[in-house]
Amino acid sequence: MHFFQDPQFGNRIITLMAAFVLVLQIAMVGQRWLVTNIRVFAAQSFLLAGIANTIAYFNHAPHLYIAAFLTFTLKAVALPIVLERLVKRIDIGQEIAPLVNVPLSLLISGGLTTVGYVVAASFHRPEETMSAANLSVANLGHNTLAVAVSLFLIGFYMMITRRKAIMQVLALLSLENGLFLAAISLTYGMPLIVELGIFFDLLVAVMVLGILVYRIQETFDSMDVSKLSRLRG
Amino acid sequence: MNIILATLAQLLLFLIIAPLVTGVIRTMKARFQTRRGSPIWQPYRDLHKLLRKDMVIPDTASWLFSATPYVVFLTAAMVGLMIPMVAADAPLSLFGGVLAVVYLLALGRFFLALGGLDTGSSFGGLGSSREMTISAIAEPAMMVAIFTVAIAANSTNLSEVAKSAVGQSWRFLAPSQMLAFGAMFIVLIAETGRIPVDNPATHLELTMIHEAMILEYSGPYLALIEWGASLKQLVLMTLLVNTFFPFGLSPAWNAQGVAIGLAFYLIKIAIICCLIVMVETTNAKMRLFRVPELLAVAFILGALALISTFLF
Repeated sequence: MHFFQDPQFGNRIITLMAAFVLVLQIAMVGQRWLVTNIRVFAAQSFLLAGIANTIAYFNHAPHLYIAAFLTFTLKAVALPIVLERLVKRIDIGQEIAPLVNVPLSLLISGGLTTVGYVVAASFHRPEETMSAANLSVANLGHNTLAVAVSLFLIGFYMMITRRKAIMQVLALLSLENGLFLAAISLTYGMPLIVELGIFFDLLVAVMVLGILVYRIQETFDSMDVSKLSRLRG
Repeated sequence: MNIILATLAQLLLFLIIAPLVTGVIRTMKARFQTRRGSPIWQPYRDLHKLLRKDMVIPDTASWLFSATPYVVFLTAAMVGLMIPMVAADAPLSLFGGVLAVVYLLALGRFFLALGGLDTGSSFGGLGSSREMTISAIAEPAMMVAIFTVAIAANSTNLSEVAKSAVGQSWRFLAPSQMLAFGAMFIVLIAETGRIPVDNPATHLELTMIHEAMILEYSGPYLALIEWGASLKQLVLMTLLVNTFFPFGLSPAWNAQGVAIGLAFYLIKIAIICCLIVMVETTNAKMRLFRVPELLAVAFILGALALISTFLF
């Protein structure tokens, strides 16, 4: 199949998947149900692993396969399972209660995406990469930087506006997805050891946060972090 | 001469296919829910029956009540002539193409809402206010989505849009196209009163929108409105398939090209019908106050599509 060798085709596929990652991020902002939110995050991580695989294939960067595999097993399978079990165990209300209502949040995240594009546009230098023979391979994945920047911004926004601690964990994870996307789209992956470090760091962070969320729930009978300002013996 | 023939052919095709599409969707939906359902030509029978019946016009109704069915029907038919259907050249092209399409549809909707208000019944006013609430958000979403395609084609003329897309392989894989398609699909569902937004199968329910506005209509007027509604549905579906997937559009109006174009067209419409039926059977109707959220999603998708045309 000739188009499997064609970097133009690879570029299309990567951009398309990046667009879907962005759509899923916005879906997370718009979604009201906790469990659905976790599943949307799993789907997003799955697509991210797909992007890493595609970049690895078209760029001949074999270490990215390992990063893709780790993204898939940890973020698309393991963490969602851990989080869903946590939700089941602490038996909280399913509906998330954001501080800002949903349509407005959607509009704000649309605005943040625009900011992301504007910021990323200043890194985009097509005239420099054009000089390399027919750009394609060198430019592969570069245009996903805008999506990555929008992912962090929306991730930050979700962390700020969500009351429930578990949603904030999810927002942190999606923010990290943005970081990973930026890393693979700009540099075809950080050195493997750094990525391994980040993955295990993340895994431990989620475990710790999970325990913390459980304790918050036990102590305050709620996961609303705005109640944490009260002292209680 | 040729242009007159083309106009007549496209008008006839639209008028004939529109009730059929409504019938096909209804039957498919029934089969999905393991019911037998009515035959697919049931809408023709309904129209035939309604056209022969007498009308009852409320005492309080003014001329607006009688003008509305004609306006609704004629705007839908006129929009049908401005969209490429089986050939890339649409027979009619008025002031700015896409803009005229959007505003002619808005004109029909405006009159329908007025007709609902005119009789002074509380149901009519309810339906009109809901319809206007929904369309106030659906309309910008639709415009943003169509502009995305228009920018890619450098023209707001729908024939030009369809022509520019021919021969660009992988074009529909571009993120802007996919996002705009998603936005347009949600708008299609909202504008045709399909399930997450409105239930087309109910006649008396507090949540109805379209049915509430036309509750006072009967006989030939009702036939015109129903026919106009199915025309509008087909027009929007055509707009969706032919701007995003213009495969098989005939470059000129000749017998062979039109035959092939028609075959492709029917296949594409059938696929869209399947999609609509799947959405309708797998979703529950939304609470009215949640509908703006769905449409906000459509608007954001459209806006993202527009942004990404400039960058990707």
